[in-house]
Amino acid sequence: MERATPNKSRTGRAALTWGIIWMVSYFGARAALEWMGNAQPAGPRLAVALIPIVPFVAFIWKFISSMRQVDELERRIQLEALAIAFPLATVLLMILALVQLAMPLNPDDWSYRHVWYFLPIFWLGGLSIARRRYQ
Amino acid sequence: MKNQLRILRAEREWSQAELSDRLSVSRQTVNAIETGRYDPSLPLAFAIARLFEKRIEEIFEPDGAVNG
Repeated sequence: MERATPNKSRTGRAALTWGIIWMVSYFGARAALEWMGNAQPAGPRLAVALIPIVPFVAFIWKFISSMRQVDELERRIQLEALAIAFPLATVLLMILALVQLAMPLNPDDWSYRHVWYFLPIFWLGGLSIARRRYQ
Repeated sequence: MKNQLRILRAEREWSQAELSDRLSVSRQTVNAIETGRYDPSLPLAFAIARLFEKRIEEIFEPDGAVNG
């Protein structure tokens, strides 16, 4: 039963900022790993690969804080978005697992680094459907 | 669930934004309740009833008979 106040808006903006930093760090780490190549030892490469976890933790912390401050309808919308996104993600991974058994998948097209993009897309799609329902 | 929220708000010449401020919810929530797309939680229904100085059942009415 709460609505956006300046403090709540600040929390939402902080979540968005950390989300952007997380994305930048992900693409930065990806570019760095491609630049380093396989010639580098695994230790530094692993360290670079784990860098995005830091901004991700900050993002998820701020995102959860902002969710605790939104009103009951917004929480319902977020829940319905997840109720749409989670089964879609499950189906995607299940189908990929079966297709992988049926035929070899090219890792340049269907590795983890390609598939994870679908998860936020499903969530945004779910969010759009849920928001439209209550407009 | 049907409700009298839009009528009660109009009687007081409040905008949705003004009502949402008074209830500490978003304008989208007020709109969704008025259009019957969203049924408020019990605490919010009590807050609405308190604001309009009415009983909950004077504002909210179930669509059909409740079997129990």
